[in-house]
Amino acid sequence: MSTVKEQKRHQQKHSGPKAERKKLKKQGGTTDEDERKRNPKAFAVQSAVRMAKTFHRAQDIKTKKHHIPLVDRTPLEPPPVVIVVVGPPKVGKTTLIRCLIKNFTRQKLGDICGPVTIVSGKRRRLTFMECNNDINTMIDLAKVADLVLMLIDASFGFEMETFEFLNICQVHGFPRIMGVLTHLDSFKNNKTLRKTKKNLKHRFWTEVYQGAKLFYLSGMVYGEYQTQEVKNLGRFISVMKFRPLVWQTSHPYALVDRMEDLTDPESIRTDPKCDRTVSLYGYLRGTYLKNKCQVHIPGVGDFQVADVNFLPDPCSLPDAQKKRALNEKERLLYAPMAGVGGVVYDRDAVYIDLPANHVNQQQEVRPTTELVQSLIDTHATLDAKMAASKVSLFSGSATLDPTGIDEQSSLQEKHVWDPNTQRNRRKVVFAEEEEDDVSSTTDDEYGDSEQEEDEDKDNLSEFLKEARAKSEKSAKNVTYTPPVKRQKLEKRKEEGEEMLAFADSEDDLEMSEEEESKEEGEAARARDSGHCSEEDEEESDDEESENESVEEEDDADDTVKKQTESSVILFIILLFLSIGALQWKDGLQQKASEAFLRQQEAAPNLRKLIYGSEASDSEDEDKELGGLFRVSRPHNSTKFQANALDCSRFNPDTFHDWDLEEMLNSIRDCFVTGKWEEGQDAATLLKEDEELYGDFEDLETGEIHKGPTEQQDPQNDEDDEKEEAEESQMKVDDDEDQKNKRLEKKRRLKERFDAEYDDGDATYFDDLKEEMQKQAELNRTEFEDVDDETRVQYEGFRPGMYIRVEISSLPCEFVTNFDPHYPIILGGLASAEGNVGYLQMRLKKHRWHGRILKTRDPLILSLGWRRFQTIPLYHIEDHNGRHRLLKYTPQHMHCGASIWGPVTPQGTGFLAVQSLAGTKANFRIAATGVVLDLDKSVTVMKKLKLIGYPYKIFKNTCFVKGMFNTLLEVAKFEGASVRTVSGVRGQIKKALSTPLGAYRATFEDRLLMSDIVFLRSWYPVSVPQLYNPVTSLLLPVGQKDNWEGMRTLGQLKHDLGIRNNPNTDSLYKPLVRGQRRFNPLHIPKELQKALPFKSKPKQQQPKGKIPRDLQRPSVIREPHERKVAALLHALSTVHNHKRKKAHMVQHAKHKEFLQQKEKQEEAKLKRQKEARKKLYRVMGQMDQKKQRSSLKGSSQEN
Amino acid sequence: HCGRHNNNMASHGLTYDGCNFFRQRLVLSTLSGKRVKISNIRSKEDNPGLRDFEASFIRLLDKVTNGSRIEINQTGSVLFYQPGLLQGGSVEHDCNTQRSIGYYLEALLMLAPFMKTSLKATLRGVTNDPIDPTVDVLKSTALPLMKKFGIDGEGFDLKVVKRGMAPGGGGEVVFTCPVRRTIRPVQLMDPGKIKRIRGVAYSVRVSPQMANRIVESARGVLNQFIPDIYIYTDHMKGANSGKSPGFGLTLVAETLNGFFLSAEMSSTPQGQGDPMLPEDLGRNCAKLLLEEVHRGGCVDSSNQSLALLLMTLGQQDVSKVLLGPLSPYTIEFLRHIRDFFQIMFKVEVRKPLEDERKGGDKVLMTCVGVGYSNINKSLK
Repeated sequence: MSTVKEQKRHQQKHSGPKAERKKLKKQGGTTDEDERKRNPKAFAVQSAVRMAKTFHRAQDIKTKKHHIPLVDRTPLEPPPVVIVVVGPPKVGKTTLIRCLIKNFTRQKLGDICGPVTIVSGKRRRLTFMECNNDINTMIDLAKVADLVLMLIDASFGFEMETFEFLNICQVHGFPRIMGVLTHLDSFKNNKTLRKTKKNLKHRFWTEVYQGAKLFYLSGMVYGEYQTQEVKNLGRFISVMKFRPLVWQTSHPYALVDRMEDLTDPESIRTDPKCDRTVSLYGYLRGTYLKNKCQVHIPGVGDFQVADVNFLPDPCSLPDAQKKRALNEKERLLYAPMAGVGGVVYDRDAVYIDLPANHVNQQQEVRPTTELVQSLIDTHATLDAKMAASKVSLFSGSATLDPTGIDEQSSLQEKHVWDPNTQRNRRKVVFAEEEEDDVSSTTDDEYGDSEQEEDEDKDNLSEFLKEARAKSEKSAKNVTYTPPVKRQKLEKRKEEGEEMLAFADSEDDLEMSEEEESKEEGEAARARDSGHCSEEDEEESDDEESENESVEEEDDADDTVKKQTESSVILFIILLFLSIGALQWKDGLQQKASEAFLRQQEAAPNLRKLIYGSEASDSEDEDKELGGLFRVSRPHNSTKFQANALDCSRFNPDTFHDWDLEEMLNSIRDCFVTGKWEEGQDAATLLKEDEELYGDFEDLETGEIHKGPTEQQDPQNDEDDEKEEAEESQMKVDDDEDQKNKRLEKKRRLKERFDAEYDDGDATYFDDLKEEMQKQAELNRTEFEDVDDETRVQYEGFRPGMYIRVEISSLPCEFVTNFDPHYPIILGGLASAEGNVGYLQMRLKKHRWHGRILKTRDPLILSLGWRRFQTIPLYHIEDHNGRHRLLKYTPQHMHCGASIWGPVTPQGTGFLAVQSLAGTKANFRIAATGVVLDLDKSVTVMKKLKLIGYPYKIFKNTCFVKGMFNTLLEVAKFEGASVRTVSGVRGQIKKALSTPLGAYRATFEDRLLMSDIVFLRSWYPVSVPQLYNPVTSLLLPVGQKDNWEGMRTLGQLKHDLGIRNNPNTDSLYKPLVRGQRRFNPLHIPKELQKALPFKSKPKQQQPKGKIPRDLQRPSVIREPHERKVAALLHALSTVHNHKRKKAHMVQHAKHKEFLQQKEKQEEAKLKRQKEARKKLYRVMGQMDQKKQRSSLKGSSQEN
Repeated sequence: HCGRHNNNMASHGLTYDGCNFFRQRLVLSTLSGKRVKISNIRSKEDNPGLRDFEASFIRLLDKVTNGSRIEINQTGSVLFYQPGLLQGGSVEHDCNTQRSIGYYLEALLMLAPFMKTSLKATLRGVTNDPIDPTVDVLKSTALPLMKKFGIDGEGFDLKVVKRGMAPGGGGEVVFTCPVRRTIRPVQLMDPGKIKRIRGVAYSVRVSPQMANRIVESARGVLNQFIPDIYIYTDHMKGANSGKSPGFGLTLVAETLNGFFLSAEMSSTPQGQGDPMLPEDLGRNCAKLLLEEVHRGGCVDSSNQSLALLLMTLGQQDVSKVLLGPLSPYTIEFLRHIRDFFQIMFKVEVRKPLEDERKGGDKVLMTCVGVGYSNINKSLK
């Protein structure tokens, strides 16, 4: 029943020019070029303007396609993609996640809570997270999502949650969004299904972008979506590309997938509400995370990170192999919060997760489970528990004594509870055993340098070291001796160092370094003058413990020590002597000084000199020696350093004597006049040039210069030659240089290739892109071959690492009210983002939010990582740049908003919600906007009109009262301009003594007493300093969406049932209208004169009073007269009656007469009409006759 | 109970002892937003507490910032500084004459690109003294260095209006600097060869011949290396000559790749020690330049910390710079950078090859920037 008109079908031409042309085209005849050649006129420039326009347009389109090139900072092994599944309740979110997980890993998950990480392919991992309909969760997850699966119940249509989430996404950067329609099986009619799909699709497109992918899940099979559809969805997900979002790429963050409470159980027992130390785990995303940085946990607050480590990846990508699919072993699934992944290895502990149902299944292995279970719900410290517990290895055998175990285990490590860091630490007792301990490699608690040493030193070197320490201690003892001797000693020490600079082995050098640092501990301390981090304390602790252990050992084997000590001293002396001999032999001050310099400045451990020295600086200032003596060192050096002159000048080296020729020669090559490098030497370059351009003819003389004959590819030759030269050099250089050279060569080759094959017209854009690419390459390669422990120190923890973040002093509710269904996000903050200040933003009320917003009504903002309540002031910028306070936000316009809140970079988007609890509003997002400016003060002005009344008016001068209260106030406003309501402008002149606050003012015109004078002024408004972070995660389980902050005045009044007393004038009353009286119309005399008579007022003066003299006296009749009068009256009445009767008779007669007359008249008229008719007929006939006869006559004449 | 942690933001400050590296700490604190407490400032000395020039520096810092809080105890031995936001704009400051303008300017150079509005600072005081880098050196080395980091364009200038020698002062410089949102990462690895040497020999309130004598002697030393030497003589008179007599020389060596190495020397201030002969000064200054060339690298030794700071504050990319041996001041600066920004530099020593005659060991510093963005600049 299509109403569309049948279109005429296309008729293909079989002959004629069109058909010819087509045929020609089909044969591949003429091309555009040919056309141009054949008909150049048609392609000539017709209009320069038009051409310019087309060119302009083409360029515009070309440039519009460009994006600002950014450095590609994606890590080599990226973190799992965060896929957030959102949608209204009961739409099938959990089912979808379950199906997808099953699709990828062939595993079924029961309760899905918390993030679930899976390996989906050879190069991709996915983290699924379900988003419930709490607006807090929606906001938090929108900030970390890479891909959003937006589930829509097709049988119902869009729900508000969907739009809310879309708007949240828009504000916080727009992650990829894929719509998924579910409940499609509820449609019975195929046509309505199609229609609904189309409608939903188009609405979805307007919200996301035209052509956004919308997936259809047609129905359920045994409570799951159809396998094929899920598979397709999975494929889509695993090939999807993601856009970098500004906030995400500039901040480190982690979606926490595991949480452990590390608090000392004892302190919890004594104070259940004590602050907790918690470690959080997750994949690091975004950018580099620095240790000790600040993080924000949305819903909890800001915290300083106590410690960060990286752990082996629990859900690692498979090793690179040449096969397409993953095998079953590689399909990993990691979801600790959902109870998957059973045993979890931490840095210093093993956690075994045993859910209740799991235990029930495995009842036959009770003994081990019991042990584990007892470990799990331990409430006492581990030490106490271990001491109390008795374990039997085999059921029924004798229990093992804890002391026995201790003896055995003490061979390896000893657990020490460190009260500072609130965790177990392993104290190393034997060096050999520690080497075996693999887990210690992940330990970065100890400075890595020490660790390295620990790892590679053998017994001898350790003894050596100890001996050195001893000798050093003895040297310290000697510091008590007179100064002369001390100097000598120091000198010896210095020379010792010098000697060591010549030593080959790096080990020795390190040792010397350490020695030095120990000796100069105080000096170093002064240099570092107080680093406040806890790290130091820890390190110092370590140091102490080490020292202790060393001392213990000393006690144990005294004899060995003494031997070694003496031997080492001998060794040092020997070396010293040999060096002395050397110096004496060479006698070159130069060389010595250079060596000294090298030792001091360019030692291989320059890094340690800069950063690592604080390991020694935290040494206790006064160390006890043998429990008797205290080592005290002169303090003057410290103080001198700490309070020395603050100057950036680098004083020259005194050893350099620039009068010596040797010294001068040492810098010859720094100048253009010196020797150049192989490739850059002028001579070689000249030669190359000759080869390249050798063949030339001197035009003046006519001479022809011939170059070398073989010239097939001059550039190649040159390059080859260079390469050869390089190769010859390579053999000399070490590996690194070689590698660099190779890279350089590759780069040059690539450059040449690019230059040849690119379109040639390299634009600014291309250059920029090139530069960015180079930078990205450098970023990748720079720390590639550094081991992770060191790399982490340089770069920070890089995205993609699985990290463990320890945070102390988290509120206890975080742990006690922990609900894995709510996401915990660890949002790293940049350096200044931990501060609070005034923020100026541009804000617009959301067009779907029902009401406008009121100034000073508290509002909950989501800005950066944070959600917080604050009190905004709305304002608008006047033409002169003044920020004028607004009482309400404009309906459809942007306005400014100033708040007191966390410092966040400009350009960051935010959204505002009025309340988080429940869904009272039909659209919860009240406003959106962007941060414009940060400041420590605000300049919002409120308009203030001061009103006064004139009380004395002279010509143009006027005395005004009521505007101010005191003389001082007036004085402040002297010279200010004032205005009256009628628009007369004036100026305040001078205060008057009485009445108080009155002043004299002059105006441009005379005022009236009824005028009101007002003064327009501006009053600065202060922004209330409320910053109240939303702590929704701390609320009890099940009530997390009920966070309530400060209430608005209206809410308070509503809740407390307070009603305002209305202004009585504003109340409605029944209308009572008085009678209106009008004044008589007064017409001026002049006007009266001019009026026509008709309109002239008539002289209808009411009868005035008759003057007394004109008044006649009333007549009083006599009785007789009265009788006469009565008779006369009666007679006249009778007479009147008679006359009336007669008149009536007469009237009737006359009427009759008139009727008769009318009849007669009618008859007469009739007669006359008849007669006239007759007459006319006759006349007409006669006329006709006459005419006919005349016609006849004329015809006869013809 | 829930709201316990909320209102205090997590940032807590750093504490230091002693007044050394005073500027570094305050500057880094201002840039990072971390508050800092410096205690035991000259607490053991007869005259404890902050000196006048430090107070003057704090005042200057207060002028360029908005909302910073500075608390000093009675003796002046404890300073608490909570940084505000960098405001910029037009600033005039009378610098204390105990230190030269260079002392203040060095800090200002570090802060200026990160202001809200572009800075125009007029500093009055001592332009040249023997302790601090003089204004001339900063103009000829620090400014080109900053240009490498993308801080340039119109209004990036340092102008010496009046010259004032120590101890009297009376000099005036105008420093203008545009603001930047981000700093570019750099790879300054190859300094290139020195192509020319320029310099300024200045003299105020002494015979103009002094400058010529300096030039003569300095050229005598440097001519052994390169012929392209030009040393301007700058004799200021009248109102522009400050309050004290003096003379001095600054030398700048420019390399092919556009890096600048400098050396300078000023005459001893009037009434403080033995007077200096201009010939000696010229010769010594030339030798200082040779020393600087011997140290080498892409950055002048007095600007090492500026370069390292700008690298730190760059985008999250790898920056590299080749320096000469690190000065103690720079070493301390590196430690401070780690405290404030948690950035550690990779330090590699580049030893000269056997037959190379390019001075001493070089240090290649590598770091990944923090991705600092200027939070003061407003978006409009």
